[in-house]
Amino acid sequence: MFDNSSIIRCRKIWKLYGPGAEAAAGLRADALDDDYLGGHGLVPAVRDATLDIRKGEIFVIMGLSGSGKSTLVRCMTGLIEATRGDLFFGEDNLRGIDPKRLIEIRRHKISMVFQDFALLPHLTVLDNIAFPLRVQGIGREERLARARELTDLVALKGREDRFPHELSGGQQQRVGIARSLTTDPEVWFLDEPFSALDPLIRHEMQDEFLRLQATLHKTIVFITHDFEEAIRIADRIAIMQDGRIVQVDTPEQLILKPADEYVAEFTRKIPRHRVMRTGSLAGPATELASGSPVLASALIADVASRVLTSDRPVPVVDAKGAIIGAIDRERVINTIFAHGAR
Amino acid sequence: MVAAVFWKSPQRAVLMIRPRLIMLLGLGLIAVTSIVPALREALPDWVVRLPSEWLLEPAEPINRFLAWLSRRAEIGPFEVKEITRGLAAIIEVPLSVLQGVLVKGVEVPVPGGEVRLAALPWWALTAALALFGQWAAGRRAAGMVVLVCFYFLVLDLWDEAMLTLASVAIAVMVGAIVGVVLGAAAHRWPRLDSFLNPVYDVMQTLPVFSYLVPILLFFGFGPVAALIATVIYAMPPMARNTTLALRRLPPSISELASMAGCSPRQRLLLVLLPAARQGLLTGFNQLVMLSLSAVIIASVIGAGGLGNVVLQGLKSMQLGRALEAGLGITLMAILLDRLSRAVASRRPSHGRATTGWKGHPVLLGSVALMLWGWLMVQAAPASGAFPEALTWNSGRLLDGFFGWVNVTFADSIGAISDGFVRHLFRPLKAALVALPWLGVVLFVALLSCLIRGVGLALGLTAILTFIAITGYWDMAMTSLYLVTISVLIATLIGFPIGVVAAQNARLGGLTALVIDTLQTLPTFVYLIPVVMLFGLGDFPAMVAIVAFALPPAIRYPMDGIARVPGSLIEAADMAGCTRLQRLLHVQIPYALPEIMLGLSQTVLMAFGMLVITALVGTRGLEQETLVAVSKAKVGEGLIAGLGISFLSITADRLITHGAARLRRRLGQV
Repeated sequence: MFDNSSIIRCRKIWKLYGPGAEAAAGLRADALDDDYLGGHGLVPAVRDATLDIRKGEIFVIMGLSGSGKSTLVRCMTGLIEATRGDLFFGEDNLRGIDPKRLIEIRRHKISMVFQDFALLPHLTVLDNIAFPLRVQGIGREERLARARELTDLVALKGREDRFPHELSGGQQQRVGIARSLTTDPEVWFLDEPFSALDPLIRHEMQDEFLRLQATLHKTIVFITHDFEEAIRIADRIAIMQDGRIVQVDTPEQLILKPADEYVAEFTRKIPRHRVMRTGSLAGPATELASGSPVLASALIADVASRVLTSDRPVPVVDAKGAIIGAIDRERVINTIFAHGAR
Repeated sequence: MVAAVFWKSPQRAVLMIRPRLIMLLGLGLIAVTSIVPALREALPDWVVRLPSEWLLEPAEPINRFLAWLSRRAEIGPFEVKEITRGLAAIIEVPLSVLQGVLVKGVEVPVPGGEVRLAALPWWALTAALALFGQWAAGRRAAGMVVLVCFYFLVLDLWDEAMLTLASVAIAVMVGAIVGVVLGAAAHRWPRLDSFLNPVYDVMQTLPVFSYLVPILLFFGFGPVAALIATVIYAMPPMARNTTLALRRLPPSISELASMAGCSPRQRLLLVLLPAARQGLLTGFNQLVMLSLSAVIIASVIGAGGLGNVVLQGLKSMQLGRALEAGLGITLMAILLDRLSRAVASRRPSHGRATTGWKGHPVLLGSVALMLWGWLMVQAAPASGAFPEALTWNSGRLLDGFFGWVNVTFADSIGAISDGFVRHLFRPLKAALVALPWLGVVLFVALLSCLIRGVGLALGLTAILTFIAITGYWDMAMTSLYLVTISVLIATLIGFPIGVVAAQNARLGGLTALVIDTLQTLPTFVYLIPVVMLFGLGDFPAMVAIVAFALPPAIRYPMDGIARVPGSLIEAADMAGCTRLQRLLHVQIPYALPEIMLGLSQTVLMAFGMLVITALVGTRGLEQETLVAVSKAKVGEGLIAGLGISFLSITADRLITHGAARLRRRLGQV
């Protein structure tokens, strides 16, 4: 099952808190059941997490507060050390990594956006953005030039000399985003980046985030507690509950085949036609189908009016134009109106 | 309350309540046995007072040890004396340079002799300070700087004021560096923090007098000794605030430092300390104010300056001069507080470049002004003198006034003082001194067990037993009685004021302004008017302690009640409470933990002032520390000082843990 394109590989990661957590690291995995943990006063923040993050994907880790999503990501970035399990970043195993090597990785390969922005109050917008370069000892002129490029990218031009407290929340997070891109990292971690923002601003920032990613093509690990946000931006989603990873799948598969009642509960409120793609809804190709075809990768929401106004089924084609099936009114209507039925 | 629990579920309550019940019974038993004379007499003698042959007498060994340490001990190739004297020499350099520039003039060695440079002229320094005031806090602060400078110039206190200012400046510099380093280290290594905290407690509560002489032993007589005493007294809040500010940073700031790949040094210097700037500067403000306070007290060991003028004035009954200097100290305190607060609350703003000298034309200007003035005065020394025609001295005028006041009001003041002494002071003192020491220790131990746990009980037992076993119990009770009375009176005055002020925004603002000002004043200042009006003795001491301890007694109830959530007030109103009911049933209960913290602050302040009242002739431990200074009795001074420190720590711990317990019970975590 080794995936060559994986850039981060978590293998049976555990993070335990409490006295004697170290001792538990040496035990067999199946000994670490609820009885043992409860009896020893250990709190499992992450239990037995295994996952791969592939190059170039937007990987969302979704869970409610206390589900362990933040802890898992902090294990991935080396901010906290996992109690047991291995965690590979490229070729490096983060467990027991040489601190100097970790500093190297952080300076050049990864970066992070924080929920509360974590801007330095004593630095201007420009200096905040240039901060990671300053740490690396890069000269003032050079790093400020790079920071100016990024202020353009995140639409903060004209505010370079402001201090963080002089900006709105949305603008502050733009600074946080720009700062995390200064070093042009391979993997970009975003820890609930939009949770502290008002709903309207949040939506706008999500759009902008997707726009940025369309030009940057980073590998992204994105944490959120908001399932709609996850659905909106994710290539794949990992859902966590009580420290365990419950399911890892594409948004569409989560809705079609939720692993358990917990996941199903999240998907219930999601309008299916905004998540499901034509391809997964299509029936077998039929002679009756006519009219110009729709793409298998299109959202139902986008093709709904086409299908609904057509008397006959509409053919569905893949990216190469080959017909792979057909979609009719009934299926679309069921998708749009039957979302509470499951 | 116990009965109420029994009522609800008799069987379980008995099981649950038993240990607490026993402890409560024990407390009552000890209290009754200690207080009722007939029972007390039945106790064996050693329970009441330890017989003298049982006492430890550590003073003499301490004296010998310190004498040995300061004269002969060696660390590696160096004698301790050489190290400490070397350190003193290092600190003395900036101090003497600053004193030279400000007051005395500087002697610069040049080939073929020395050239004497005159001190900075008053006008250049006044103008430069005013510019700084304008930069830090605006035009009104600048005006205030000029006024204060002219106060000193006109009353011919300029040199003394500048000496004080120089000492404060250097003490603040040393204190800031040491404080930030210790504070950051305590943040990095929490174990160090739990070691340093009790040390700071002792440093902050130990009377300055008790460690002046040991410092003299090690660092020699002179301004440096005073400076080191000042740093010991004033540094802890800087270190504590540093640790606190670092700890209060959101965790993401520290994670940011990691994710940006900071080295440990970069993390501290580029990220953590600058981000915690606001908290550091709060500590800085306290450092400045406490330094001023200590520099004034240090005049007792001959550090010159304003404190010395006050002390000489009080000694020779030239009360006018003492009052002039005292007012000067007051003005300087208010000004320093205003400026350091303004610097602390400055926030950077865009459009103002912040790097390099170019960003600070005003500061650059004030430095240039000082340089220019200095050059001018070298060329024309006469320009440095303040015109004599403009100086004025209240001289005999004020002395005469106070003489008149004393003569005219002597009877009524005497009557009041007499009444207090006869009906309150003496009975309470007698009652406290009569208490068996073991009873007090056991009572405190049981109480702290109830409030907090065995750890606190053991700690407090140890430090109280220390007082008894060193033979200072009677003196400690004498100190305690004065503090108790003062705290009682301060609370009786302060609590109603606080409650009333909390209900009225305008009055609240005014009260806050007054007590903020009162709180900035150094302890020494409070003694001056008290001595002038009431002379010497326990009664004037009590008045000074009450005056000094009043601000927290007002402030905490006021803030606590003002902080009661609006929804609770509305709920009370909607339930049909009258104002009085609202106050009694909602506001005061909710604010009670805050009010208790105020009490502990009041107690600490009272002990802080008590230490100084030794100068007006009180008789407790504080007197022993002062005697130790005049007779160079190192050991006695230290032990008596520790006694005061232990008493105030005991009181503080009991009250703050009680408050914390109450807070948990009210769910205000």
